[in-house]
Amino acid sequence: MNVDSRPRTFPKWLLWSLATIVLWGTWGLVSKIASGGVDAYVNQLLYTVGLLPLMVFVGWTVAKRSAGDAREGRNRGIFWAFLTGILGGLGNIAFFQALVKGGSASVVAPVKALFPVVTVLLALVFLKERLGRVQWLGLALAFLAIYLLSA
Amino acid sequence: MHLWLGFAALALVFWGITGVTQKLATNSISSERSFLWFCWAMVALSAAVLLVARPHAGLGTAVLFSSIAGGTLNGLGAWTSFRALESGGKASIVISLISLYPLLTVGLAVLLLGERLTRMQLAGAIVAVIAAILLSLESPSTESASSHCA
Repeated sequence: MNVDSRPRTFPKWLLWSLATIVLWGTWGLVSKIASGGVDAYVNQLLYTVGLLPLMVFVGWTVAKRSAGDAREGRNRGIFWAFLTGILGGLGNIAFFQALVKGGSASVVAPVKALFPVVTVLLALVFLKERLGRVQWLGLALAFLAIYLLSA
Repeated sequence: MHLWLGFAALALVFWGITGVTQKLATNSISSERSFLWFCWAMVALSAAVLLVARPHAGLGTAVLFSSIAGGTLNGLGAWTSFRALESGGKASIVISLISLYPLLTVGLAVLLLGERLTRMQLAGAIVAVIAAILLSLESPSTESASSHCA
Protein backbone atom coordinates (compact mmCIF):
# COMPACT_ATOMS: atom_id res chain seq x y z
CA MET A 1 0.00 0.00 0.00
CA ASN A 2 1.30 3.38 -0.94
CA VAL A 3 0.97 5.90 1.79
CA ASP A 4 2.10 9.44 1.17
CA SER A 5 4.19 10.22 4.23
CA ARG A 6 5.15 13.75 3.17
CA PRO A 7 3.99 16.30 5.73
CA ARG A 8 1.08 18.42 4.50
CA THR A 9 2.16 22.02 4.36
CA PHE A 10 -0.05 25.06 4.38
CA PRO A 11 0.28 26.63 0.91
CA LYS A 12 2.27 29.86 1.03
CA TRP A 13 -0.21 31.71 -1.19
CA LEU A 14 -2.96 30.90 1.31
CA LEU A 15 -0.89 32.29 4.19
CA TRP A 16 -0.17 35.50 2.24
CA SER A 17 -3.86 35.78 1.31
CA LEU A 18 -4.96 35.39 4.92
CA ALA A 19 -2.35 37.93 6.00
CA THR A 20 -3.82 40.35 3.44
CA ILE A 21 -7.32 39.84 4.84
CA VAL A 22 -6.06 40.57 8.36
CA LEU A 23 -4.05 43.65 7.29
CA TRP A 24 -6.78 45.23 5.13
CA GLY A 25 -9.57 44.16 7.47
CA THR A 26 -7.79 45.84 10.39
CA TRP A 27 -7.10 48.95 8.29
CA GLY A 28 -10.86 49.64 8.16
CA LEU A 29 -11.02 49.45 11.94
CA VAL A 30 -8.04 51.69 12.70
CA SER A 31 -9.25 54.22 10.13
CA LYS A 32 -12.53 54.56 12.01
CA ILE A 33 -10.66 55.00 15.33
CA ALA A 34 -8.43 57.65 13.73
CA SER A 35 -11.38 59.50 12.20
CA GLY A 36 -12.69 60.13 15.71
CA GLY A 37 -9.79 62.49 16.38
CA VAL A 38 -8.43 63.86 13.11
CA ASP A 39 -9.96 65.24 9.93
CA ALA A 40 -9.61 63.42 6.62
CA TYR A 41 -6.64 65.53 5.44
CA VAL A 42 -4.53 65.02 8.56
CA ASN A 43 -5.47 61.34 8.44
CA GLN A 44 -4.05 61.16 4.91
CA LEU A 45 -0.85 62.89 6.09
CA LEU A 46 -0.34 60.42 8.93
CA TYR A 47 -1.30 57.52 6.65
CA THR A 48 1.59 58.53 4.38
CA VAL A 49 3.94 58.58 7.40
CA GLY A 50 2.91 54.95 7.97
CA LEU A 51 3.85 54.14 4.37
CA LEU A 52 7.41 55.49 4.70
CA PRO A 53 9.03 52.36 6.24
CA LEU A 54 7.57 50.30 3.37
CA MET A 55 8.90 52.80 0.84
CA VAL A 56 12.40 52.29 2.26
CA PHE A 57 12.05 48.51 2.09
CA VAL A 58 10.57 48.44 -1.41
CA GLY A 59 13.05 51.08 -2.61
CA TRP A 60 15.89 48.87 -1.39
CA THR A 61 14.35 45.85 -3.19
CA VAL A 62 13.96 47.83 -6.42
CA ALA A 63 17.55 49.10 -6.19
CA LYS A 64 18.77 45.50 -5.81
CA ARG A 65 16.85 44.45 -8.93
CA SER A 66 17.47 47.61 -10.92
CA ALA A 67 17.74 45.69 -14.16
CA GLY A 68 14.25 44.29 -13.68
CA ASP A 69 12.37 46.68 -15.90
CA ALA A 70 13.02 47.26 -19.54
CA ARG A 71 13.93 50.89 -20.18
CA GLU A 72 11.40 51.01 -22.98
CA GLY A 73 8.11 52.13 -21.58
CA ARG A 74 9.48 52.76 -18.09
CA ASN A 75 8.49 56.44 -18.08
CA ARG A 76 5.02 55.54 -19.22
CA GLY A 77 4.75 52.96 -16.43
CA ILE A 78 6.00 55.46 -13.86
CA PHE A 79 3.44 58.01 -15.05
CA TRP A 80 0.56 55.56 -14.60
CA ALA A 81 1.89 54.35 -11.23
CA PHE A 82 2.19 57.97 -10.03
CA LEU A 83 -1.33 58.73 -11.21
CA THR A 84 -2.51 55.60 -9.39
CA GLY A 85 -0.99 57.00 -6.19
CA ILE A 86 -2.66 60.41 -6.60
CA LEU A 87 -6.05 58.83 -7.30
CA GLY A 88 -5.53 56.32 -4.48
CA GLY A 89 -4.73 59.17 -2.09
CA LEU A 90 -7.81 61.14 -3.17
CA GLY A 91 -9.82 57.95 -2.66
CA ASN A 92 -8.33 57.67 0.83
CA ILE A 93 -9.36 61.23 1.69
CA ALA A 94 -12.92 60.55 0.50
CA PHE A 95 -12.95 57.30 2.50
CA PHE A 96 -11.70 59.08 5.66
CA GLN A 97 -14.29 61.82 5.06
CA ALA A 98 -17.04 59.17 4.87
CA LEU A 99 -15.94 57.90 8.30
CA VAL A 100 -15.68 61.43 9.76
CA LYS A 101 -19.19 62.27 8.47
CA GLY A 102 -20.72 59.47 10.50
CA GLY A 103 -20.39 56.38 8.34
CA SER A 104 -19.67 53.39 10.54
CA ALA A 105 -16.69 51.18 9.72
CA SER A 106 -18.94 48.14 9.41
CA VAL A 107 -20.94 49.82 6.62
CA VAL A 108 -18.34 51.96 4.82
CA ALA A 109 -15.83 49.06 4.55
CA PRO A 110 -18.18 46.86 2.47
CA VAL A 111 -19.14 49.86 0.29
CA LYS A 112 -15.51 50.72 -0.48
CA ALA A 113 -14.82 47.08 -1.33
CA LEU A 114 -17.12 47.54 -4.31
CA PHE A 115 -14.65 49.75 -6.19
CA PRO A 116 -14.06 47.04 -8.84
CA VAL A 117 -17.50 48.10 -10.16
CA VAL A 118 -15.95 51.30 -11.45
CA THR A 119 -12.87 49.46 -12.75
CA VAL A 120 -15.04 46.99 -14.63
CA LEU A 121 -17.18 49.75 -16.14
CA LEU A 122 -14.08 51.73 -17.19
CA ALA A 123 -12.47 48.61 -18.66
CA LEU A 124 -15.70 48.02 -20.55
CA VAL A 125 -15.78 51.54 -22.00
CA PHE A 126 -12.10 52.46 -22.47
CA LEU A 127 -10.23 49.15 -22.72
CA LYS A 128 -13.03 47.53 -24.73
CA GLU A 129 -13.01 44.52 -22.44
CA ARG A 130 -16.07 42.31 -22.51
CA LEU A 131 -17.96 41.27 -19.41
CA GLY A 132 -18.92 37.70 -18.69
CA ARG A 133 -22.24 36.71 -17.16
CA VAL A 134 -20.62 36.36 -13.75
CA GLN A 135 -19.40 39.95 -13.85
CA TRP A 136 -22.79 41.28 -14.96
CA LEU A 137 -24.26 39.45 -11.96
CA GLY A 138 -21.52 41.00 -9.80
CA LEU A 139 -22.45 44.47 -11.07
CA ALA A 140 -26.13 43.92 -10.29
CA LEU A 141 -25.31 42.62 -6.80
CA ALA A 142 -23.00 45.58 -6.18
CA PHE A 143 -25.84 48.06 -6.75
CA LEU A 144 -28.14 45.94 -4.58
CA ALA A 145 -25.47 45.96 -1.85
CA ILE A 146 -25.15 49.75 -1.95
CA TYR A 147 -28.92 50.07 -1.64
CA LEU A 148 -29.04 47.67 1.33
CA LEU A 149 -26.05 49.25 3.09
CA SER A 150 -27.47 52.74 2.79
CA ALA A 151 -30.81 51.69 4.28
CA MET B 1 -28.77 60.50 0.59
CA HIS B 2 -26.44 60.25 3.57
CA LEU B 3 -23.40 62.51 3.30
CA TRP B 4 -21.07 59.66 4.27
CA LEU B 5 -22.44 57.57 1.40
CA GLY B 6 -21.58 60.33 -1.06
CA PHE B 7 -17.97 60.35 0.14
CA ALA B 8 -17.83 56.55 0.10
CA ALA B 9 -19.09 56.62 -3.49
CA LEU B 10 -16.41 59.19 -4.35
CA ALA B 11 -13.74 56.90 -2.87
CA LEU B 12 -15.20 54.10 -4.96
CA VAL B 13 -14.79 56.15 -8.14
CA PHE B 14 -11.17 57.18 -7.40
CA TRP B 15 -10.12 53.67 -6.41
CA GLY B 16 -12.04 52.20 -9.31
CA ILE B 17 -10.02 54.30 -11.75
CA THR B 18 -6.81 53.08 -10.08
CA GLY B 19 -7.78 49.56 -11.15
CA VAL B 20 -7.18 50.66 -14.75
CA THR B 21 -4.18 52.97 -14.17
CA GLN B 22 -2.43 50.32 -12.10
CA LYS B 23 -2.94 47.78 -14.85
CA LEU B 24 -1.43 50.27 -17.33
CA ALA B 25 1.52 50.85 -14.96
CA THR B 26 2.35 47.18 -14.41
CA ASN B 27 2.19 46.61 -18.17
CA SER B 28 5.44 48.59 -18.37
CA ILE B 29 7.19 48.30 -14.97
CA SER B 30 7.45 45.76 -12.13
CA SER B 31 4.93 45.67 -9.31
CA GLU B 32 7.63 46.79 -6.84
CA ARG B 33 8.59 49.84 -8.89
CA SER B 34 4.91 50.58 -9.45
CA PHE B 35 4.31 50.42 -5.68
CA LEU B 36 7.28 52.71 -5.05
CA TRP B 37 5.95 55.39 -7.42
CA PHE B 38 2.50 54.92 -5.96
CA CYS B 39 4.06 55.80 -2.58
CA TRP B 40 5.92 58.81 -4.02
CA ALA B 41 2.60 60.09 -5.33
CA MET B 42 1.15 59.69 -1.84
CA VAL B 43 4.03 61.79 -0.48
CA ALA B 44 3.42 64.48 -3.14
CA LEU B 45 -0.30 64.51 -2.41
CA SER B 46 0.39 64.79 1.32
CA ALA B 47 2.69 67.76 0.66
CA ALA B 48 -0.20 69.40 -1.19
CA VAL B 49 -2.56 68.49 1.65
CA LEU B 50 -0.24 70.35 4.04
CA LEU B 51 -1.32 73.57 2.31
CA VAL B 52 -4.93 73.09 3.38
CA ALA B 53 -4.55 71.20 6.64
CA ARG B 54 -2.05 71.41 9.46
CA PRO B 55 -1.84 68.74 12.11
CA HIS B 56 -2.56 70.30 15.48
CA ALA B 57 -0.73 69.43 18.63
CA GLY B 58 -2.49 67.30 21.19
CA LEU B 59 -3.67 64.41 19.06
CA GLY B 60 -4.47 61.43 21.28
CA THR B 61 -2.05 58.52 21.24
CA ALA B 62 -4.70 56.08 20.02
CA VAL B 63 -5.72 58.39 17.17
CA LEU B 64 -2.12 59.09 16.16
CA PHE B 65 -1.16 55.43 16.31
CA SER B 66 -4.29 54.32 14.40
CA SER B 67 -3.79 56.86 11.67
CA ILE B 68 -0.13 55.99 11.07
CA ALA B 69 -0.84 52.26 11.41
CA GLY B 70 -3.48 52.68 8.67
CA GLY B 71 -0.81 53.50 6.11
CA THR B 72 1.41 50.63 7.21
CA LEU B 73 -1.43 48.09 7.28
CA ASN B 74 -2.73 49.11 3.85
CA GLY B 75 0.75 49.13 2.31
CA LEU B 76 1.70 45.81 3.88
CA GLY B 77 -1.60 44.36 2.65
CA ALA B 78 -0.71 45.39 -0.90
CA TRP B 79 2.67 43.68 -0.50
CA THR B 80 1.23 40.44 0.93
CA SER B 81 -1.36 40.34 -1.87
CA PHE B 82 1.49 40.49 -4.41
CA ARG B 83 3.30 37.73 -2.51
CA ALA B 84 0.14 35.57 -2.56
CA LEU B 85 -0.02 35.88 -6.35
CA GLU B 86 3.73 35.28 -6.74
CA SER B 87 3.63 32.22 -4.47
CA GLY B 88 1.62 30.21 -6.96
CA GLY B 89 -1.91 31.09 -5.90
CA LYS B 90 -4.38 31.24 -8.78
CA ALA B 91 -5.40 34.86 -9.31
CA SER B 92 -9.10 34.01 -9.35
CA ILE B 93 -8.84 32.23 -5.98
CA VAL B 94 -6.44 34.68 -4.31
CA ILE B 95 -8.44 37.78 -5.32
CA SER B 96 -11.72 36.13 -4.34
CA LEU B 97 -10.31 35.13 -0.96
CA ILE B 98 -8.83 38.56 -0.33
CA SER B 99 -12.20 40.15 -1.19
CA LEU B 100 -13.47 38.75 2.11
CA TYR B 101 -11.53 41.37 4.10
CA PRO B 102 -14.52 43.70 4.68
CA LEU B 103 -16.16 40.93 6.69
CA LEU B 104 -13.22 41.12 9.13
CA THR B 105 -13.68 44.89 9.40
CA VAL B 106 -17.39 44.35 10.10
CA GLY B 107 -16.61 41.73 12.76
CA LEU B 108 -13.94 43.87 14.43
CA ALA B 109 -16.11 47.01 14.35
CA VAL B 110 -19.02 45.16 15.95
CA LEU B 111 -16.81 43.49 18.58
CA LEU B 112 -14.40 46.31 19.43
CA LEU B 113 -16.27 49.52 18.55
CA GLY B 114 -19.74 48.30 19.53
CA GLU B 115 -21.22 49.15 16.11
CA ARG B 116 -24.59 47.64 15.31
CA LEU B 117 -25.88 46.67 11.86
CA THR B 118 -29.50 46.45 10.84
CA ARG B 119 -30.56 43.24 9.09
CA MET B 120 -30.63 45.12 5.79
CA GLN B 121 -27.08 46.40 6.32
CA LEU B 122 -25.84 42.95 7.33
CA ALA B 123 -27.39 41.53 4.15
CA GLY B 124 -25.80 44.41 2.23
CA ALA B 125 -22.34 43.62 3.66
CA ILE B 126 -22.64 39.98 2.62
CA VAL B 127 -23.99 40.86 -0.85
CA ALA B 128 -21.15 43.42 -1.26
CA VAL B 129 -18.53 40.76 -0.60
CA ILE B 130 -20.20 38.33 -3.03
CA ALA B 131 -20.36 41.11 -5.65
CA ALA B 132 -16.67 41.96 -5.14
CA ILE B 133 -15.74 38.30 -5.60
CA LEU B 134 -17.84 37.94 -8.78
CA LEU B 135 -16.42 41.15 -10.24
CA SER B 136 -12.89 39.87 -9.63
CA LEU B 137 -13.37 36.56 -11.38
CA GLU B 138 -12.95 37.28 -15.06
CA SER B 139 -11.44 40.61 -15.99
CA PRO B 140 -7.65 40.96 -15.73
CA SER B 141 -8.08 44.65 -14.96
CA THR B 142 -10.10 43.86 -11.87
CA GLU B 143 -7.54 41.30 -10.79
CA SER B 144 -5.03 44.03 -10.41
CA ALA B 145 -7.56 46.40 -8.93
CA SER B 146 -7.13 45.38 -5.33
CA SER B 147 -3.38 45.29 -5.29
CA HIS B 148 -2.56 48.88 -4.39
CA CYS B 149 -5.40 49.97 -2.19
CA ALA B 150 -7.73 47.99 -0.12
